[in-house]
Amino acid sequence: MSGSKPDILWAPHHVDRFVVCDSELSLYHIDSAVSSELKAGSLRLSEETTATLLSINSDTPYMKCVAWYPKYDPECLLAVGQANGRVVLTSLGQDHNSKCKDLIGKEFVPKHARQCNTLAWNPLDSNWLAAGLDKHRADFSVLIWDISSKYAPETAVATEKVRLSSGDAEAGLVVTKPLYELGQNDACLSLCWLPRDQKLLLAGMHRNLAIFDLRNTSQKIFVNTKAVQGVTVDPYFHDRVASFYEGQVAIWDLRKFEKPVLTLTEQPKPLTKVAWCPTRTGLLATLTRDSNIIRLYDMQHTPTPIGDETEPTIIERSVQPCENYIASFAWHPTSQNRMVVVTPNRTMSDFTVFERISLAWSPVTSLMWACGRHLYECTEEGKASSLEKDIATKMRLRALSRYGLDTEQVWRNHLLAGNEDPQLKSLWYTLHFMKQYTEDMDQKLSGNKGPLVYAGIKSIVKSSLGTTENLRHSRSGSDRQADIIQYLSEERSLALQLCGWIKKGTDLDVEPFLNSLEQEGDWERAAAVALFNLDIRRAIQILNKGASSGKGDLNLNVVAMALSGYTDEKNSLWREMCSTLRLQLNNPYLCAMFAFLTSESGSYDGVLYENNVAVRDRVAFACKFLNDAQLNRFIEKLTNEMKDAGNLEGILLTGLTKDGVDLMESYVDRTGDVQTASYCMLQGSPSEVLKDERVQYWIENYRNLLDAWRFWHKRAEFDIHRSKLDPSSKPLAQVFVSCNFCGKSISYSCSAIPHQGRGFSQYGVSGSPTKSKVTSCPGCRKPLPRCALCLINMGTPVSSCPGGSKSDEKVDLSKDKKLAQFNNWFTWCHNCRHGGHAGHMLSWFRDHTECPVSACSCKCMQLDTTGNLIPAETVQA
Amino acid sequence: MELHILEHRLRVASIAKESIQLFTYGLIKLAFLSSKTRCKFFSLTETPEDYTIIVDEEGFLELPSSEHLSVADATWLALNVVSGGGGFSGSQPIGVTKIAKSVIAPLADQNISVFMLSTYQTDFILVRERDLPFVMHTLAAEFTILRVVNGETVAADDLGITNGFVKPKLVQRPVIHPLSSPSNMFCVTSLDPDTLPTVATLLMDVMFYSNGVKESVVGNEDSGHIRFFSFSLIEGYISLVMDVQTQQRFPNNLLFTSASGELWKMVRIGGQPLGFDECGIVAQISEPLAAADIPAYYISTFKFDHALVPEENINGVVNALQVSQAEKH
Repeated sequence: MSGSKPDILWAPHHVDRFVVCDSELSLYHIDSAVSSELKAGSLRLSEETTATLLSINSDTPYMKCVAWYPKYDPECLLAVGQANGRVVLTSLGQDHNSKCKDLIGKEFVPKHARQCNTLAWNPLDSNWLAAGLDKHRADFSVLIWDISSKYAPETAVATEKVRLSSGDAEAGLVVTKPLYELGQNDACLSLCWLPRDQKLLLAGMHRNLAIFDLRNTSQKIFVNTKAVQGVTVDPYFHDRVASFYEGQVAIWDLRKFEKPVLTLTEQPKPLTKVAWCPTRTGLLATLTRDSNIIRLYDMQHTPTPIGDETEPTIIERSVQPCENYIASFAWHPTSQNRMVVVTPNRTMSDFTVFERISLAWSPVTSLMWACGRHLYECTEEGKASSLEKDIATKMRLRALSRYGLDTEQVWRNHLLAGNEDPQLKSLWYTLHFMKQYTEDMDQKLSGNKGPLVYAGIKSIVKSSLGTTENLRHSRSGSDRQADIIQYLSEERSLALQLCGWIKKGTDLDVEPFLNSLEQEGDWERAAAVALFNLDIRRAIQILNKGASSGKGDLNLNVVAMALSGYTDEKNSLWREMCSTLRLQLNNPYLCAMFAFLTSESGSYDGVLYENNVAVRDRVAFACKFLNDAQLNRFIEKLTNEMKDAGNLEGILLTGLTKDGVDLMESYVDRTGDVQTASYCMLQGSPSEVLKDERVQYWIENYRNLLDAWRFWHKRAEFDIHRSKLDPSSKPLAQVFVSCNFCGKSISYSCSAIPHQGRGFSQYGVSGSPTKSKVTSCPGCRKPLPRCALCLINMGTPVSSCPGGSKSDEKVDLSKDKKLAQFNNWFTWCHNCRHGGHAGHMLSWFRDHTECPVSACSCKCMQLDTTGNLIPAETVQA
Repeated sequence: MELHILEHRLRVASIAKESIQLFTYGLIKLAFLSSKTRCKFFSLTETPEDYTIIVDEEGFLELPSSEHLSVADATWLALNVVSGGGGFSGSQPIGVTKIAKSVIAPLADQNISVFMLSTYQTDFILVRERDLPFVMHTLAAEFTILRVVNGETVAADDLGITNGFVKPKLVQRPVIHPLSSPSNMFCVTSLDPDTLPTVATLLMDVMFYSNGVKESVVGNEDSGHIRFFSFSLIEGYISLVMDVQTQQRFPNNLLFTSASGELWKMVRIGGQPLGFDECGIVAQISEPLAAADIPAYYISTFKFDHALVPEENINGVVNALQVSQAEKH
């Protein structure tokens, strides 16, 4: 301070006053600036505030540090530490009748003069003032003065020797005997009282931080460090302390005082001030020399205590309140995040650090944001539909409707998904057909093509490349079908099955499929399929039927009419008209039909590249009419298209292979639908795809998503589903019953190992050779505990219910074998640790509430909430 | 108790009085412009014989090499005793007296030569760097030994030297060298480094132009006055030792003084230059003082040693030491 750099302090109790101190003390009063014009003599601090100088005190030269009296005092009592170590109480008030009047002017003088570095009022006993002084070879550096102490006339000896000290004439105001003296032959650079106890003082000494306990002054806790400047306690977290050294701030946890819990990034210039914000938790402001910014470190979210491994989260910001360099700053004691700064030429600025806005988005799409002490919830107005379209909403609803969990009728999953997405429909039908086919194969035990099924049509077609190929000129259905070549092979018919055109093995009849399409009212598609099976009459019949049905389109009759005019004359008018007019048809299937009829044999691009026709139909068509080379090329091309587009219909081609995962990847990239991806990939029995890290990633993400939605049961269901389809994901046993004596598990897997030649069948239960029961620990051979009711060691089978007659027992056994198995289980109360056979316990607690062990008054059954439930059976009876 | 081994590597040098003008540039830089150098430890003591400089290696670079500068052929390390946690007995004897028994005597017993520098703030015991293993071994029993590395104190490694130690013998250590006691009274004081610029010219005058002043103010040496002034700037702390006449030339309230305003008288040790190899000189003086519980400062210079004792004790001290001296014969 001493003339060079001003410091600034807010009054602790007058929220509108502050003091600027350099060579003198100046008290200012802050007003809100109502008008834009300044009153005479006032200084503008910000757009809203001005300051007026109230008084100046220049009584105390050589000021080194200032501390404001913490108790309410109308006169603004201050303690000033001077260059020669004296501490003077002074005031900035004008009222000389105040109750603190007798304190003003009081001086506290150390035995040996040296600079006073720091002052700290005790927050609990405002009579205590600690002063930290520089080093003297024989004197103490921490002196705690009692400001209420009276002048001790002990200086009779001293006055005799007073030659160097002058001007102590105002005796009665000079105190030379401190209450406590600490830190001999050391220097004290900074001080602060610990709020935990009135008598704990933290001091930054010459090369260490020390905690002095005034209840036992012969001891101190200390830690060697360079960071001894500016010790200050976090007002919201009393174990957290900041101190600094040159450009580095160290944060200490007093519970782990061996080393700093963290150090903040080092600044190139030495720090001059570090202060915790008094109105907000974990906000530390720091200032370096020759700088016009104040750096803020937000430790609100830093865990305490900070672990050794975790990297603490600290948000660093800086504020620039003015253009000039800042000499000092002070947080306002009560007004949130408010601060005043003073520059070396004593211009001041009043500002509020704007609070960082934090935003949180819940997993169920509600949005909150917080600023300062306010919390806002945001709702989107109006557009409910956009929310419904969101994949997260869809996935939530689908999870609730048990989407993906129908493993019997796999195709039904698309209904569970809401029956609105044709891609999902195609996907689940594909998976359904694949599953069905594998099951057929299993039954026939001719599984040479089995593994191919889940590999998709692409692999199936590839495998048919070298194999037998049946070419046949077909003229079936209509005699007009002259030169259309159809191809047939085992693989092709398998592909047709997967496309859903035909059922079961060798039967090539599409009639059932046509019927089902007719039922769904999908007339155009049915007609097209019939036509592609070269049954033009059936096609016309279907179209007529469609036109006459209630919802049907009357135009279908017109189409049927056009169709009936088909001629295989190459240059007929019909052909010419159809090939041009078909492009005006809206329905892709109708369009494809005419393309088929007007095309040359072997070139069906008009059908194959009609993108609005379902992939499965186009593939089925290709399997019928393209030769091997064409078919391969087409399938290859279509597969790549599907993969690039992330179109789930393509799963038909790729199957659940690596290609399929690639396709699914672009689907997930496009939609974010990890739910479908997880369920789909789990369907594939070959576990290679499940090992793909992308698949594992989707599955884990879906599980996390369910957890985030707090769908614990759905997640458990998913895990069960997953472990059924992917045995490798089954979790290991997590609960064991361990032996009291040796601590080893007595569970089955352990006891199944033969022990010293004697099989456990010896201990086994008569009548059930598969169950090997033991009555002693397989590890240490000590007996297992006894059942509290039958007093037989656990592991022996349960006898009949106590008190029950033999006939009852027989009924019981015949009734419910599962329950009988459960009767043998160990069970015990987690409170009193008594227990026995589950069956015995159940029957005991049917009539009792207390533990069966005598002298134990534990009400075991009432502690168990499920114990209060009545079995459904009993309710019915 | 803790013994800190400071990181400064020190040189001890002597400048002949008449050659001081060759060195004033460097000395002024070291004393008043410390921010311009990397020096952390600087001490200048003027005696009637010479100027003794104790300076760390960084500061030594500021001095021109010259035939007028004699340098002791060793690197010295400064030891500093810190009371550590305990020690709250009200009026402890201060300075060398406090460490006479625990440090000085054991080192003397092991024939380890020491060089003392007392300041307003503390006492430094300088030992040769090559003696450090012996020093640590000797003092390990009594002290927690810590080393200062980059400003931080760390536990010092035990250098593991165990042989070559003699068992301390309980011998009397009579005062060997002749003593004298000048008539001037001294004060040991300090000042706020911020106010150093305001008295820089005065200090320069006192340091470098004492010859002229001596005649006019102090009178001649026959009356028992001697010229003695010490300035040190160590780790940012200033310490001054000067006689009362010099002190009166400083402005009021600028120098730090004790509340009781104590004054000190000097005992000068040595008739011939003492050299650097003889051991036990400090112990000879400090042990009788410790026995009588008399506080003292002790400042070694290139040629002689100087002890400062409270003025009221000077007669007792001189008598006691003379008795000790007599025992020699």
